[in-house]
Amino acid sequence: MGACICKQKSGNRRLNITSTVPPSMENSFAEGRIRVPNSRESILILETLKQIRLLVDNEQEPPRSILMLHKIADKESGWLSVMMALISSVPADDPLGPAVISLLIDECALPTKATIEKLCNRLKLNRLIVNKDPDKHRNICIALGCLAEKMAGPNSIHLLNNHVLNYLIECLNINNYPSVILFALIALEKFAQTSENKANIIKYLESLSNGHGAPIEKLESFVNQNKYMERQVRFCANWSLDNLFPVENRPYSYEKVNTNGINVMLNANDVSEYLKISSDGLEARCDASSFESVRCTFNVNSGCWYYEVTVVTSGVMQIGWATKQSKFLNYEGYGIGDDEYSISYDGCRQLIWYRAVAENHLQPAWRPGDVLGLLLDVDNQRVVFSLNGVQLSPCKKLFSSATSGFFAAASFMSFQQCIFNFGSTPFKYPPPNCHFQNFNDFGVLSIDEKTILPRKIKLAMLKEVDIKEDSCTICFDRKADTILLPCRHTGFCSECGKKLSICPICRGDIEERELLHSPER
Amino acid sequence: MAGGLPRRIIKETQRLMAEPVPGIKAVPDEGNARYFHVIVEGPAESPFEGGTFKLELFLPEEYPMSAPKVRFMTKIYHPNIDKLGRICLDILKDKWSPALQIRTVLLSIQALLSAPNPDDPLENDVAEQWKVNEAQAIATAKQWTKMYATRG
Repeated sequence: MGACICKQKSGNRRLNITSTVPPSMENSFAEGRIRVPNSRESILILETLKQIRLLVDNEQEPPRSILMLHKIADKESGWLSVMMALISSVPADDPLGPAVISLLIDECALPTKATIEKLCNRLKLNRLIVNKDPDKHRNICIALGCLAEKMAGPNSIHLLNNHVLNYLIECLNINNYPSVILFALIALEKFAQTSENKANIIKYLESLSNGHGAPIEKLESFVNQNKYMERQVRFCANWSLDNLFPVENRPYSYEKVNTNGINVMLNANDVSEYLKISSDGLEARCDASSFESVRCTFNVNSGCWYYEVTVVTSGVMQIGWATKQSKFLNYEGYGIGDDEYSISYDGCRQLIWYRAVAENHLQPAWRPGDVLGLLLDVDNQRVVFSLNGVQLSPCKKLFSSATSGFFAAASFMSFQQCIFNFGSTPFKYPPPNCHFQNFNDFGVLSIDEKTILPRKIKLAMLKEVDIKEDSCTICFDRKADTILLPCRHTGFCSECGKKLSICPICRGDIEERELLHSPER
Repeated sequence: MAGGLPRRIIKETQRLMAEPVPGIKAVPDEGNARYFHVIVEGPAESPFEGGTFKLELFLPEEYPMSAPKVRFMTKIYHPNIDKLGRICLDILKDKWSPALQIRTVLLSIQALLSAPNPDDPLENDVAEQWKVNEAQAIATAKQWTKMYATRG
């Protein structure tokens, strides 16, 4: 379950924030990570980071620290101090840090134009030296990206003034810290959701290229000692060039990728909206604030099957098995493991998820490079998870509701990424003493099915679709051939007619549905 | 979202592009055809006149069997819209019908700007003000429109 803290049920909740530190929190930062909190806001933010791991029930009240931060951010001066505290106090090594910045900004009251201006002034972006204090710059970039996303439209244009644009592009310098490069890239991507910004960014990038390759192109081959950090930078550079900032004469990734030997992929047609899938269909990443999910292209009904996932980031992902009935409720924060048709492993919070209920497991928290093994034994009704070859005891509960049609599937919180291996390359930790098969030996994909198009191209193709005028007004898939009785309203097909209990036009109860005879031609 | 984009959504998008609604702009996101960037002009003779209000509209997986999710992104002083931009409007909740469309929803929201309904409030403080001192409430709404919803 993704942390969803939008459950404020009434607008008149009153919080008392008279004391600076609630008594229960006084010792909460005794572990002393990186920075000593120096304000009420910082203390609350560190408390939120701790609490968010324990927030495993979406119906549960959000932690008090979050509610207090919201309350503080209701006033302009409070909003500014929450922003400044987020930037200075979220530690770089907390796997949930970036996601918490995104969650908090997303849920705070909307800032005014004047407030945004004040924030920019306080940050002094025009005078910052970007290659010092990488943690702070990383947080600034995350915060800018979240604000851009939250305020898409005129306010986002206002925020992306010359200083901010200059700053973000300077952050992309290949010699900079990879975490700063990564989040500057993501921030630019979020600014580009507003078309005027996008045009400005492209213009700026073009003015820089001078035949030496634009800054983002250089990042496509970015190499760094931190293998998994550089992988994220390359992934995002690749994505933004394919989807947002096209460069002349650069072929799209789907045109270059070699998918020979890959017979099972993540399904680009069976995915929630914001998940990014690589052109080889085996790597996925989420940079949205929602909880994004995907299933693979292949499913099984019997036998014993295994796949592996290499973790690129160490935050919240729920990786496991699901059937077609599992729902992807990205905005509500539900994904794989959050219904009775799926089960998942969460290596960040160290949980196994089933029916949106979490159970602790004893594996250590996962780290970039760790390999999650997922064994599904349909015949013996068991699922076995392993981390770097160390197996957990089998889980049986998935089979009480789901019996067939199992897909590999996963959900991602903000800024998470991992690589799937369905068997197209050798497994690192094949389960011992067990005869299993792999998806890739049995899957079949046509060339078209293997082609993962940039969404822009896909969308442009959709606009060309021709839809007949006599179609059902609800689905537009089938012919409108049904009359609802007694009201006699028409315009619906029999399939949609069956799903209705009251007439969509007059709201009258439906007693009968009759097929219309086709009109004579 | 199984099997790509439903034809119903494609059809509505095509129509919104071909025959836009006066005073309303709704453009699908380039990356996500279920997400629309919406601009609604404040209706004439309302306290929101002269303002342009940015909204987001999202079509959930069950659409059109369930209602679109709509939210104001621009701050607005209105008894039926809270500070997070959430809208209290019956057709977005229990009065939803699959015969309604994106365009009818946006027209209803525009109508809600013309006729605030403090008896069915979402933002209690604002509704209270609207009932106790309507002139003052309208003045505040005008002021907010100028502060938050005017370009430049």
